[in-house]
Amino acid sequence: MRQVLTPRQQFQKAIVLPAIRAALALGCQIQTRSQFDRKHYFYADQPAGYQITQYYRPFATGGKIILNDFDGIAADDGKSVVIGIQQVQLEQDTAKTVLQPPSEAMLDFNRVSHPLIEIITLPQIHQAQTAAACVKKIQALLQAVNAVTAGMELGGLRVDVNVSVRRRNQNALGQRTEIKNLSSIKAVEDAIIAERNRQISVLESGGTIQGETRGWTLGASDTVKLRGKEGEVDYRYMPDPDLGPLLISNELVTKLAGALPQLPDQITEELVECHGLTIKDAKTLVELDGGMRLDYFDVVRSELAAFHSQNEGNPVINATDEKERGVIIANWVLHEMGGLLSTSESAFSADRVPAKELAFVILMLSMGRITGRTAKQLLAKKFHGDTREVETIIRDENLGLVHLSEEEYVSMARELLDGHPAIVAQIKDKGQIGKLGFFMGQMMRKGEGKVVAQRAEATLKKLLGLTQ
Amino acid sequence: MLTRLYTSVPVRLHIRSRNNSVRSLAFGRAFSSSRFTLEGPDDILPRHPTWSVQDIFGNRSTNAEPQVSDDELHHLLRLSALPIPKDLAEQQRMKKDLQSQLKFVRVIQELDISDSVKPLQSIRDETENGMKEQEITAETLADEFAKEEIVGIRGRIRRKEGMKSLEGEEEKWDPLALAPRTTGRYIAVNTAED
Repeated sequence: MRQVLTPRQQFQKAIVLPAIRAALALGCQIQTRSQFDRKHYFYADQPAGYQITQYYRPFATGGKIILNDFDGIAADDGKSVVIGIQQVQLEQDTAKTVLQPPSEAMLDFNRVSHPLIEIITLPQIHQAQTAAACVKKIQALLQAVNAVTAGMELGGLRVDVNVSVRRRNQNALGQRTEIKNLSSIKAVEDAIIAERNRQISVLESGGTIQGETRGWTLGASDTVKLRGKEGEVDYRYMPDPDLGPLLISNELVTKLAGALPQLPDQITEELVECHGLTIKDAKTLVELDGGMRLDYFDVVRSELAAFHSQNEGNPVINATDEKERGVIIANWVLHEMGGLLSTSESAFSADRVPAKELAFVILMLSMGRITGRTAKQLLAKKFHGDTREVETIIRDENLGLVHLSEEEYVSMARELLDGHPAIVAQIKDKGQIGKLGFFMGQMMRKGEGKVVAQRAEATLKKLLGLTQ
Repeated sequence: MLTRLYTSVPVRLHIRSRNNSVRSLAFGRAFSSSRFTLEGPDDILPRHPTWSVQDIFGNRSTNAEPQVSDDELHHLLRLSALPIPKDLAEQQRMKKDLQSQLKFVRVIQELDISDSVKPLQSIRDETENGMKEQEITAETLADEFAKEEIVGIRGRIRRKEGMKSLEGEEEKWDPLALAPRTTGRYIAVNTAED
């Protein structure tokens, strides 16, 4: 009888694709030759007694992440901070452990041996808030290059944090402890703060910090000891004899680097500089719906640009420039669409309101063919399943703006002013200009979609003697 | 490279020579870099042992080697998930064995390999062609690229719809069937005992 022996582990080459993309997004150098090592320790979540990792020669080294103030770093870190990446390595996952105090753990072995990358940052983060911002940014980068299957909250990414404290003016880092398996941005920040406070308390009462592995539960006030931490030599790292070296061709690295998608910072800068968005709106657009909302924004923008170029000589259509249009489109895509999604508790889909239809709504609004209120109604109709084209809806339901004459504006305004003398007095005698909004709102309601807000305002100001 | 690993292993080997007679040979340092002398014109290997492992233990005094303390022994046993010795006698035997093993390892470590002998990681084809075959290229990942599509003007990559892995026969077994203790679909362990 012939017995065929097969290696215990087999490397799945397909995982190199997202791994290299992740490393490139983090600015790392890809090593064309790296190797796998065994990290030995006995623990219930590690059935083989060792974990395959890349300790001596990881596949990527020397990257960095730039965190800006708008990424949510701590104020003490100023406008920006650069966090170095020591290395990115491939390794195996362990079982998922759910602690059941006081002395039981439940183990889920579904993910054992699944490949993952470990991103090791340099010890250059000095604030818990900045650490949380760093994790959030890494997550965004990995999502941008399709290197993560799910976000932190769904278990696609988790964080182990090493925390140490030292006295002011002390250069050497203190003894660190490791807090494992933090699964949310908030947990990262809270756990660091709790562990920092614990270490300070221990040191100030004359104790010493033990190098150990600790755990954190959301809502807890303290980290808890899981086990003593091995020294590096105790892991008895050795090259794995079953797995050969990982050899990556330069040609593959060049191909992936050349086809890397735009990264979040590049996109944010473009949205702000070229399309007039605020940083907050730009970041929101980049982060929403795994990039689908941004894609939608781009298509709406492109459709609107097509309408404009088809009507190049029309001064009404081309009254707005690129930046103004960007702001308008972002408002509709983020806020108006966002409101409808929120109310209906549904997920975003680009098919729900075709981008071309939204672009047409915006075009009609900018041309003064419909009012703002009508535009919102049109969006809502399409959102809730009206299959007619926007142009058809406008025609069928007579939603086109019929411009009122100047006399009609004056008549409507005068009637309202005469009916509310007290408010008129507040505006004229006490200078409470904000009360003008009341009359504008009344005119918009009475006008049933035919009143343009700017004209209503102008008419009211003229009648109240507020124009200069 | 097999050279250094087999330097000091004495082996007795029976082979058939050209005239089909059985010759019994013992040899050591078969592959060492130092030359040995063959005794006869038809000899392939030395007729008598050229070296013995006793050479190490005879020449090097165990007392001169760094001693393993009881704490170090216990630490190593814990790392290896091995039981602590039952009594002092067993502990002393363990330490003696460990001391001999460490001595042997130090002899290996002291070998001069400055003439660029690379450590052997695994037995595999490390010729130029062999390495080329193992290299991961764009062609190697052609199937993976085919499962992706580029969307949007910004080159966003996403997996094509319907690209899910198929469940094979191997996945229809109950992985918890042999677990000593379970809680729901989890394997339960006592952390205090661990």
